[in-house]
Amino acid sequence: MPDTHTPPASNWQPELDELRRREAMAREMGGADKVRRQHEGGRLTVRERVDRLADPGSFHEIGAIAGRAEYEPDGTLRQLVPSNCVFGRAEIDGRPVVVVGDDFTVRGGSADATIREKPLMAERMANEYRLPIIRVIEGSGGGGSVKTIETTGRANLPGGVGGTGLFHYTTLNLSAVPVVGLGLGSVAGLGAARLAASHYSVMTKSAAMFVAGPPVVKRLGQDLTKQELGGWEIQTRSGAVDHAVETEEEAFDCARRFLSYLPSSVHGLPPDTACQDDPGRREEKLFSIVPRDKRRVYQMRQIIEAVVDQGSFFEQGKMFGRSLITGFARFGGRAVALMASDPYFYGGSWTAETCQKVVRFLDMAETFRLPVVYLVDCPGFMIGLEAERAATIRHGVRAMAAMNQTTVPWCSIIIRNAFGVAGAAHTPAGRLSLRYAWLSARWGSLPLEGGIEAAYRAEIEAAPDPAAKLAEIEHRLGLLRSPFRTAETFWVEEIIDPRETRRLLCEFTQLAGPLRAAQPGRFQMRP
Amino acid sequence: MAEVKIAAEIAASVWQIQARPGDTLAEGDTVLLLESMKMEIPVTAPRAGRLAAILVAEGEAVEEGQTVALLEA
Repeated sequence: MPDTHTPPASNWQPELDELRRREAMAREMGGADKVRRQHEGGRLTVRERVDRLADPGSFHEIGAIAGRAEYEPDGTLRQLVPSNCVFGRAEIDGRPVVVVGDDFTVRGGSADATIREKPLMAERMANEYRLPIIRVIEGSGGGGSVKTIETTGRANLPGGVGGTGLFHYTTLNLSAVPVVGLGLGSVAGLGAARLAASHYSVMTKSAAMFVAGPPVVKRLGQDLTKQELGGWEIQTRSGAVDHAVETEEEAFDCARRFLSYLPSSVHGLPPDTACQDDPGRREEKLFSIVPRDKRRVYQMRQIIEAVVDQGSFFEQGKMFGRSLITGFARFGGRAVALMASDPYFYGGSWTAETCQKVVRFLDMAETFRLPVVYLVDCPGFMIGLEAERAATIRHGVRAMAAMNQTTVPWCSIIIRNAFGVAGAAHTPAGRLSLRYAWLSARWGSLPLEGGIEAAYRAEIEAAPDPAAKLAEIEHRLGLLRSPFRTAETFWVEEIIDPRETRRLLCEFTQLAGPLRAAQPGRFQMRP
Repeated sequence: MAEVKIAAEIAASVWQIQARPGDTLAEGDTVLLLESMKMEIPVTAPRAGRLAAILVAEGEAVEEGQTVALLEA
C-alpha cells in the first residue's frame, strides 16, 4: 500500500528549539560563577552528583525546566533560573531508584527557594512506585525564609495549609522504601531533617549538619565554626549521621552498597547473590580468639569477618553506641542484619546510646524482612551514676521491646557474656529462635563479681576473714558456672565448637529464606 | 613530625600504664589499659611513632574522648 502521508508544510521545530534552549539554561544551574565556587569548595554540582551516583546514562530527569523565568518585552524568554531541586528516576546496579538533589548554586539549595512540588513528587514517586530514594542534600530549610518573607510578603507557617506533604513523606517513606541521605555540604533545618530521617546517612568530612548554623547559634553565645558545631566527628558520634567519608565518590559507593542488601520496597524481599565462599568454611582462629582470662578483650570484627561471606560485611553507625556493632552481611549469599557486641567499649555493655542504636537497627531489619544474626557478648546494661542519669534502663527495655516486636527469623550466637536483663535481650521473647553458645560462653542473672557481695553480705560480714570468705564463695559458685551445667537442664540448647559457626549461620539463612514473606504495612518505622 | 593525641574512647579508670615516654611504638601497640565493667580495655597507638607523654596516672578516672597520651609521629 503506498504511503499517502503528506509532510506538513510546517512542523513543531520552533517549540522543540524552545524546549532545548530552556533545558540548556537549566543545565547551567546557578550560573558559571556559582558553579565555579562550588568546584573551588571541593564539591560537585548536583548534576555531577546524580551522574556519578547512578548507573551511567540512566538518569531520567523530571521537571528540568521548572524554575523562575524572565521575559523580554516581546514575550520571548530572556533567562531561566532552574528550581534548586533536581530529581528523577535512575538505576543503581540495574535497579530503579528515585534520586532527588539540592542545587546549592541556586539560592544555597534552600528548601524555601525551591518549587516545593518537586521534592514532594520525588518522595511520592518513591512511595507509590515502590522505589528506593536517595536524597542528595546540600542546603537549608529555614535559611532562605529570611529572604523569602520579603519576596512573598508573608511569613511561612511550617506545616501550614498545603505545606505538610513533604514532612509527611519524609518520615512515611521509612516504612515503605529504603531511604538514603547523603549530606555533601552545609545541611541545616529541613535539609538536616531529611538527612536524619533516613535508613542510612552519610556525610563527607568537609560537610556539616546542624539544626541551625553558626550565625544563629552565635546569638546563644556559642561562637563556633561549621565543623565545630556540626562536623562529622560531632554528628557520627551523636548518632545523627551513620557514616563519614573523605570524598563524595565514597559517599556514592556507600549508598550503592547499602542498597545492595535491601529490597526495593517493603513489597519485595532482599536480593540474594551468588556465593563463592564455602558455607562449610572453618576458621581455626575462632577456636582461640576469645581469651580464657575473662578480663581481657578481643576483636569482635575479626569474628564477624571470619564467619560472613568473605568481604560481605558492611557496617552502619560505627561511631555511635559503640558497644554494639551493627551492619549488613551475607551468609551463603543471603543478606542479614547483623548485630555483634564489642567488648572494647564498656565490655560490650549496653549504654543508653547502644539501646537507641538497637531500636533503629532492628526496626529497619523488621521493615525490610532481613533475618537477624546476633553475636552476643553482653555483661549487662551499663551501670553507674551516669548510666542512671541517661535513663539506660528505659532505653534498655525499649530496645528489648523492639527485639520482641520483630517477626523476622533470628539466630543468636553467645560468644562470651550474657548477664542480667540486657543479657536476656539476646533473642526475641515469646517465639522460637535458633541459638548456639560457644565454649567460652558464660551467663547469669548477675555477674558473680559484685553480685556475691550483695547476695552473701551477712555471711561475709560474719566471717573472721571477710576477704577469704568472699574468695571461698566466689570459687564455690564459679564451679557451678560451667555452661555444661546449664545445658544439662536444657536451659541452653546447644554448645558448639566456634569453628562451626559459619556453617550453622549459613544453614540458618537457608532455613530462614522461605520465612521472609514481605509484609507491607505491618510495621511503621520511625527515624 | 606531628603531635598525635591519643584519646580514651570510653569513660573508665586507668588500670595499668604499659608504655613510657620515649618508647618507640608501632601502630596498634598498647599504651595503657583502662578498666571498665571489670574488663581491661587497651588504648593503642593509632600510628607508629615515639611516645611523647602520658597525661594520666594509674587509678585516675578519664572521660570519653579525653586525651591520655601524646605521640610524635
